[in-house]
Amino acid sequence: MYGWIWRHLPGPLYLRIAEAVVLVLGVVALLMFVVFPWAEPKLPFNNVTTPTN
Amino acid sequence: MIPRVEDDYDDDYYDDEYYEEEENTPPPDGPLRKTVRAVGELLITAGLVVLLFVVYEVYVTDLISAGMQEDATLALDKEWGSNTVAEPPDPQRHQKLNLIEGKAFAKIYIPVFGPDWGFSIVEGTTDKHLEIGPGHYIGTALPGDNGNFAVAGHRVGKGAPFNDLDLLSSCNAIVVETQTEWFVYRVLPMRDEVAGWAEGKAKSQPCQGIAPLSTTLGEAYSKTVGQEIVAPTQGEVISPVPHVVGQQPPLEKQAKLMTLTTCHPRFSDRQRLIVHAVMTQSYPKKDGFVPPEMKEQ
Repeated sequence: MYGWIWRHLPGPLYLRIAEAVVLVLGVVALLMFVVFPWAEPKLPFNNVTTPTN
Repeated sequence: MIPRVEDDYDDDYYDDEYYEEEENTPPPDGPLRKTVRAVGELLITAGLVVLLFVVYEVYVTDLISAGMQEDATLALDKEWGSNTVAEPPDPQRHQKLNLIEGKAFAKIYIPVFGPDWGFSIVEGTTDKHLEIGPGHYIGTALPGDNGNFAVAGHRVGKGAPFNDLDLLSSCNAIVVETQTEWFVYRVLPMRDEVAGWAEGKAKSQPCQGIAPLSTTLGEAYSKTVGQEIVAPTQGEVISPVPHVVGQQPPLEKQAKLMTLTTCHPRFSDRQRLIVHAVMTQSYPKKDGFVPPEMKEQ
């Protein structure tokens, strides 16, 4: 998977490194701002309330 | 004489070109090898994502919540600064807090957590509300009122206002500030302190005027102690009289309680950590006046 991506990045080495960094940052941002906020309420460690009656 | 060793090598056998080809081009990957590698890479990726989620949960949500808390506090300060209240405040005044879901209406300080520990309390206890800061259970009493002023807060991430709630001991002050008044609540005696209270801790200075509620207000309060750990379903801990289900005693017979709830143990929602406190003191707000309890460490 990672090898395949690396082989398909265009340009000389320095450009490929830059592209790889951008890809990683993009994935991290997607996780942090979209996936995790969506998944978090579904997980069982942030319920701090008791029912009100 | 030393014999010349180099010349013993067979130059044809160690042909450079042949050797290089052997080392640098491994046999083409078969389907099995490719599959194993793909699965391995996926597993490593999954591990990294889980690690990243921990970072998100413990640090990134803190940053996001810090911004929201700051906005809420700014809005509250602006509101308090704009409509000034005539002095002395009318005794019924604190009943008229401006309660809007998701907006701050009071501030909470716990001096033993340090001088920089302070949060604005918002109205409501949904995930959206608690992201901003500690949230007041809608419908429970207001600060300074008879009944039970109940507040929930996160213990992990999202600013983790109630991270150290388990460290509170009896008689520690919890100070609540509204637009017109300061209210000082003190953590009630713990379960194991109730028996020897009068001879023991009651004599220390901050515990003046505090006694187990069961001794002053009767059996109805026998289960109301400083700290308890309950099942997530036990909503009766935030009842006007904790643990009394259904019909409550009349309002004038209810103690002025404050209850804090958070998750327990940390990183889990298996149980709830509950802290009960009773109001011991209140002061009208004046310019430059800060309750002496705020300096307790």
